[in-house]
Amino acid sequence: MAPERFVDVVERFTTGFAADAPAETIKQWQDELERNVRRMRNLHGLLTNPVEPKTGQTPRVEIYKRNKSRLYRYESARSRRTPVLFVPNLGISRPYIFDLLPGGSFIEHMTKQGFDFYLLDWGVFGPEDNDLSVEECVTKILPRMARRVLETSGTDELSMLGYCMGAPISASFVASHPEVPVKNFVNMAGPIDFAKVGLFGLWLGKENFNVDRFVDTLGSVPADMVKAGFKLLKPTMDMSTNVNLWWNLWNDKYLEGFQALNKWANEYVAFPGEFFRQWVRDFYQDNKLYRDELVMGGRPIRLERITCPVFVVGAKEDYIAPPECVRALIDKVGSREKEYIELPGGHISLIAGRGAAVHCWPKVSSWLGPRS
Amino acid sequence: MADAAGPSQLFEQWRKQFEEGAQAWSRLITQTSAASPSPTPDPTAFWRPVLDQGVQSWAKLFAQTPVTPELLTQWKQFLDQWIEAWSKVLGQAMGTEQFAKLMGQSLDQMLVATAPAKKVVDQQIEQALQALNLPSRSQLTGIAKQLVELEDRIDRLEDSINAKLRRLSEREPR
Repeated sequence: MAPERFVDVVERFTTGFAADAPAETIKQWQDELERNVRRMRNLHGLLTNPVEPKTGQTPRVEIYKRNKSRLYRYESARSRRTPVLFVPNLGISRPYIFDLLPGGSFIEHMTKQGFDFYLLDWGVFGPEDNDLSVEECVTKILPRMARRVLETSGTDELSMLGYCMGAPISASFVASHPEVPVKNFVNMAGPIDFAKVGLFGLWLGKENFNVDRFVDTLGSVPADMVKAGFKLLKPTMDMSTNVNLWWNLWNDKYLEGFQALNKWANEYVAFPGEFFRQWVRDFYQDNKLYRDELVMGGRPIRLERITCPVFVVGAKEDYIAPPECVRALIDKVGSREKEYIELPGGHISLIAGRGAAVHCWPKVSSWLGPRS
Repeated sequence: MADAAGPSQLFEQWRKQFEEGAQAWSRLITQTSAASPSPTPDPTAFWRPVLDQGVQSWAKLFAQTPVTPELLTQWKQFLDQWIEAWSKVLGQAMGTEQFAKLMGQSLDQMLVATAPAKKVVDQQIEQALQALNLPSRSQLTGIAKQLVELEDRIDRLEDSINAKLRRLSEREPR
């Protein structure tokens, strides 16, 4: 059989498109056309009249502030006795990702489950905060925040929930402050064994990254550099985000979620210089937390001293804190009751978005619920 | 369903072209990093299955009559796989020791070059602001730091007063 010419293929394709199309196919194309019209309308709206998404709508009260850091208490029925202190990452991004939109908010979920929920917002740092260190966060800020939680809730115990770098920071705090009555500890996507931390571990390794020169020259890690680092970690992210946006642009609900998430994803926060120096040297380069070599405020930090019930959540496709480095907490703590689960999703989709609402949030609240 | 032999042949030719291109790239990368001890990433390992799948699905789609919007869904899936394949290739390349070293060296060079210039600019701005009788950034930063220290001292005072009050209330007869 002679090979078919390209023109024949094109002709057959166009003929097939136009001729003898059943009513069902024509209807499908009409629907597609309608979707495209909606895509164009929404694109026009996005470009000409971008709406500022209303994030962080769950009612809250500021109960304590220290320099840039704030402690917020969220409104809830408070049917669970033990309050939850949520410690997110410091720098990098803002914490409203945990309360993105009504119906798509981790905080809203937890308050609806009756938890007395407190959020520590580390704040946005400026040059005046360049002396802030990890040690100060662990030995000065967290103890005060925990005390305020106990005072305002009127209880004698609290649960701590750490996300991302908030988890090793709060684990360091729990391990070195036995006098603070922590009833439960939850680590969500928080790296513990930095020998298994993936690309950032390689890039920030001693042989490849001179943290002292970096901090001594720049003073801090500017937000633009934080952004560049994270973009480099997944260079195709922007492309797939835009492809997905175009594909779902006809869907108003998707667009609303996209705008909120996009606002958050492009709002990077600088790292204070000394914090970054200690974070990179002690955690990424020397892996001191995992090796039991960390000392803060004169107190040695041994993870085995965490004896309360521990729940660790890793995300299967997490390339910032791969599951194996998160899971490491389970092997180190001295708790008798400890559990690890690995859920679908990445570092962000573990905690925000539709997947999180299905997989992660109910798991965390149902583990904490009976223990609160 | 129409005969898919014609388009398949056409796509087969495209596939070959793509493969040859990818192999050329692979050879190029192998040559440039031949001296390095770590294994060289093989982009074709990720690229080939995606390309094969894409070519097959497109050949099948083009052979279909009538054409339905399903075509667009398939195109989106292909695009997703294509992006994912590139993400893996780039991830593998960036996960090498050579890349980390190169990035570290570039950053170091940038910092070494920037530091003296930054120092000079900072000094000049400081002097200019002083001449204009305006506060400089370092002066404002100094004041902000003092405020933070004051806040810290107030916190400590508050804590010790609260602790004393608690002890007093515990001692009081009921």
